Amino acid sequence: MSLSEVDWSTFRISAQIAVLATLLCILVGTPLSWAISRTRPAVAGFLSSVALLPLVLPPTAVGYYILYGLGRQSAFGRFLIDDLGIRLVFTWQGAAIAAAVVALPLFVRTAQAGFEQIDPELLDVAATMAGRRRVFWQVAIPLAWPSMVAASLIAFARSIGEFGATIIVAANIPGETQTVPAAIYDATQAGNTSLAHTLALLTVVMGILILTALALVLRRRATARQAR
Amino acid sequence: MDSVLAVRLQRQLGPFVLDIDFETGPGITVLYGHSGSGKSMTLKSIAGLARPDSGRIVFGGKVLFDAASSIDLAPHHRAAGLVTQGNTLLPHLDVQGNVEFGIHDLPRRERAARATELLDMFGLLGFEHRKPRSLSGGQQQRVAIARALARQSRLLLLDEPFSALDDALRNSMRRELLRLRTELGLTILFVTHDLREAHFLADRIAVFDAGRVLQLGAREDVFRRPASRRVAELTGVANIWEGVVTHVAPEAVAVNVEGASLRASPPARAFVPGERVHAVVRAERVNLRRDMQAASSPRNLIPAEVVAEFAYGSSHVLQLQPEGPGPRIEVEIAARPYEVLNITSRKLFNVEIDPADIHLVPGEDDHGGAITA
Repeated sequence: MSLSEVDWSTFRISAQIAVLATLLCILVGTPLSWAISRTRPAVAGFLSSVALLPLVLPPTAVGYYILYGLGRQSAFGRFLIDDLGIRLVFTWQGAAIAAAVVALPLFVRTAQAGFEQIDPELLDVAATMAGRRRVFWQVAIPLAWPSMVAASLIAFARSIGEFGATIIVAANIPGETQTVPAAIYDATQAGNTSLAHTLALLTVVMGILILTALALVLRRRATARQAR
Repeated sequence: MDSVLAVRLQRQLGPFVLDIDFETGPGITVLYGHSGSGKSMTLKSIAGLARPDSGRIVFGGKVLFDAASSIDLAPHHRAAGLVTQGNTLLPHLDVQGNVEFGIHDLPRRERAARATELLDMFGLLGFEHRKPRSLSGGQQQRVAIARALARQSRLLLLDEPFSALDDALRNSMRRELLRLRTELGLTILFVTHDLREAHFLADRIAVFDAGRVLQLGAREDVFRRPASRRVAELTGVANIWEGVVTHVAPEAVAVNVEGASLRASPPARAFVPGERVHAVVRAERVNLRRDMQAASSPRNLIPAEVVAEFAYGSSHVLQLQPEGPGPRIEVEIAARPYEVLNITSRKLFNVEIDPADIHLVPGEDDHGGAITA
C-alpha cells in the first residue's frame, strides 16, 4: 500500500464525471423511460432499442462515435466549437457525456421497470383529472421514486468505472481528465504494481459502499411496493 | 339537452369490432353484458382513454370526440369523472389530497371547502389526513367517487366500481349510489356484468353483446320486452320457447308452442299467422295455482308437474312438465309462497301465465336488433 503515491485528483475527476453523467442520465433517461412505458408497443420498442444500443456496443465504439460527433470532423462538432465556443473533446465534461451514454441503458431499464410497476388503471384515472405534465410529476415520479434513485445509483456506479469510452473522448491527461480506471491502467502499464494495487483496492471499497446504498434503496422500493 | 350523452363509435381491435351507437340522459344507464362485449372499451372511449377509429361523442352539447373534424379532447378536459374497480387512489397523498387532486387550479380555500363538502356527503369527515392504504375497501371507493365528483363532473363513468368489495358492502354502496343519483341529477354510466346489480341500479339499461348495443331502454322494458332472443338470454329469461303464430286478433295473439296454444298480449310489432317466433317468459312472472280448473279464462292455464327444483335461499326455481302437450316451464317463486303451496309434498299445479307476460320476438334472430330508446 502506498497511499502517498496516489494522485487524488483522479478520484475527484472520476467523481465529477460520474456525477455529471448521472445527471445527464436522469435528464434524458427519465422522460425516455416514461415514454417507453406509456407509448404504443411499436414506438416503445423502437425507443427501447435506441436506449439499449450502447449496452451491446464496445465502449470504445461508443467513445469513437462521441469523439467524432463532438470533434471538428462532424458538422455538429464544428457548430459546437466554432459557433458556441464549446470544446468537449479532451475535457472531463466530454468524458461525462461518454460515460452517460454508456450508463443510459442501465438507467433506462431500471427506471422503466419502476414506471411499469405503476397500475395503469391508476394512471388512466389520474389522466381524467390532470394533464400529462401533472400526471408525470405528481403521480408517476412520486410512485416510481425508489426506482429513480436506484436507477441513478446504478448509472453512477457504471459511470465511475467507465474506461473505454471516456478515455477515447477525453484521453488520459493527469490532473485534467485522468480517471481512476485510467490511472490503474497507467500504473499497470508502467509496472507500478503497488500503485495499481492500492488504486484497485480503493475502487473495491467504493464499490462496496455503492452496493450497500443500492441494497438499501432496493429494499425501500420493495417495502413501498408491499405497502400499496 | 344539457345532460344528454350521445355516443357513436367504431373501433377495430384485431378480430373484434366495436360498433356502438346510443344516446342517454340523466340517471343511471347500466352498460350490461358479458366480459369482452365492449362495455369497458366504450367507457374508456368516452373518458378519452381509448381512441375510436371513427365516430362522435357529445355530452351536454359539448363535442368530446369527433373523428370527422379531428376533435379529440384530452381526458381531463372532458369533465367526466371515472371510477374503476381497483384502488386508484394516489398512495402518496392523503384522503384530502386525493379529493383535491383534480381541482388544483382552484384557490386553496375553495379546494378545501369542496373537499370537506364531498367528504361530508360520503361520511368521510375525520378521514382527511388518512393515507388510502389505511382505509377499508368501501372507504377507498367512496373517496374515489368523491374525487371524481370534485371536478363538478356532470358525467360519472363507473366501471364495475364495487366488484372488489364484499357482498354486504357492495349492497350498501349500491344504495348510496342510488341516493346520489337522486340528489345530484348526474348522468351516470355504470358498467357491470352482474345481472342483479344491473337490475338494481338501472334507470335504463344498454345490453352489450359482441361489440354492439343490442337494446337500450328503460329497465322494465328491457327485462320484460327484450328486443330479440339474444337479449332475452342475456337478461336471464329462463323460458324461451320456439313457436308459431296461429291467430292474430286485436286483443291477443295465439301462439302454438310444442302443441300448446298460448295467448299473448298483442306485441308492438305486428306478427302474421304462420310466422315463427320466440315466446319469452321470465321465470318470476309465472304463477302456480292449486285449483285445477280448465283454461276457460283469458289467462293461460297449463296443468303441469314439478319435475325438478333448485333452492336459492330467498327463492326456489322449479321446472314443470305439462301433463298434456306444451313446453317445459321454469318458475321462480319466493321462499314463503313455496312453503304455502306445500311444494315439497304436492307436485301437480296449474301453471298460470298472464298473456301480458308472454313476450314475442322474431324467430329469425337478427343479432343487431333495432335499438329502441
